[in-house]
Amino acid sequence: MGNCFKSSSNDDISLLRGNDHHDPALEPAPFVEPPPPYRPQQRMPIFHPSPGVSRPANQLTEDEQIKIAQRLGLINHLPTGKYDGTNKKAKECVICMNEFVFGDELRYLPCMHCYHRECIDDWLMRSFTCPSCMEPVDAALLTTYQTS
Amino acid sequence: MTSMEKRLQKELQAMTKDPPVGVKVNMESLSSNLSEWVVDIDGATGTLYEGEKFQLGFKFTPRYPFDSPQVMFIGRNIPVHPHIYSNGHICLSILTEDWSPALSVQSVCLSIVSMLSSCKEKKLPPDNAIYVRTCSKDPKKTRWWYHDNSV
Repeated sequence: MGNCFKSSSNDDISLLRGNDHHDPALEPAPFVEPPPPYRPQQRMPIFHPSPGVSRPANQLTEDEQIKIAQRLGLINHLPTGKYDGTNKKAKECVICMNEFVFGDELRYLPCMHCYHRECIDDWLMRSFTCPSCMEPVDAALLTTYQTS
Repeated sequence: MTSMEKRLQKELQAMTKDPPVGVKVNMESLSSNLSEWVVDIDGATGTLYEGEKFQLGFKFTPRYPFDSPQVMFIGRNIPVHPHIYSNGHICLSILTEDWSPALSVQSVCLSIVSMLSSCKEKKLPPDNAIYVRTCSKDPKKTRWWYHDNSV
C-alpha cells in the first residue's frame, strides 16, 4: 500500500528531475518504481511498398498508397481455409518453419502452395510472388479468372 | 522469443542435427538472440577451392525471414572468385532481389558452395578495385547488377 501511495503522490516528479539536491545516502530504501505511464500510442502500421523499404502509413506517397490498397485487395481474393490435415503434402509453413496444427488459418496461392495466412500475407505485401516456386501471384490470379 | 529467433532456432537445430557436407555452423560465434552467425565452409573436393577453408558471416534483422540476411565472407581467407569481392561481399541475387522467405541459412550456404564449385578460373570481379574502394560496408546496400550468370 505504501508504494501505491508514494507512486501517486506528486513527489515522484522531483525524483524524476534528478538527484541534484538529494544526498543519495539520505534517500529512503529504493522502492519498486511505478510502471511508465500508459501512453495511448497511435501505432502507425508499417508498410513495405517495395522489397527492403519499410515506411509508416503516414509517410507513403500517393502512388504507394494506391499500390498497397490494390495489393490488399488482391490478397483478399486469395482463398483461405483452416488446416484440417486432409492435404498430406502441405505439412509445414516454410516461412515460419512450423508444422501446421489443426485449425491454423491458411492461405492458398494459385500455384497451390499454402502457408499460414499471417506469414504469407506479410510476405505478399512486400513481393507478390510465391516464396516456394517464385511464381508471380498476379499473373496466376489472372489465368484463374480467365479459365473459370 | 521473436519470430526471427524462433525460426533461426529451428534452422540451427536442423543444421546441427543433419549438417550438409562442407557446411558447419560455428557454435561459438552465435549471439544470444541468434542475430549473428558464422558458418565454416570447406571448398568442395574436385573443385578449384578444394582444401581451402572459408567463413561466412550472417546477420539477421528482426524482420527475417521477410528480409534477407546480410551474408559475406569474413576472416583471412576470402575466395578469389569472379562474383566475390576481395572485401568479402558476394554478388548473388538470392541475397537481395531474389530472396524468398522459403530460403534459409542452409540453402544460402549451399548456393554459395555451388557457386564456388562451378568456378573455372580463380579471378577477381572485373570491377573489384573500384568497388572495394567505394562500396558501403553493408553489401545489402549495393545495387548489384548481376552481370553474368555463366560463372
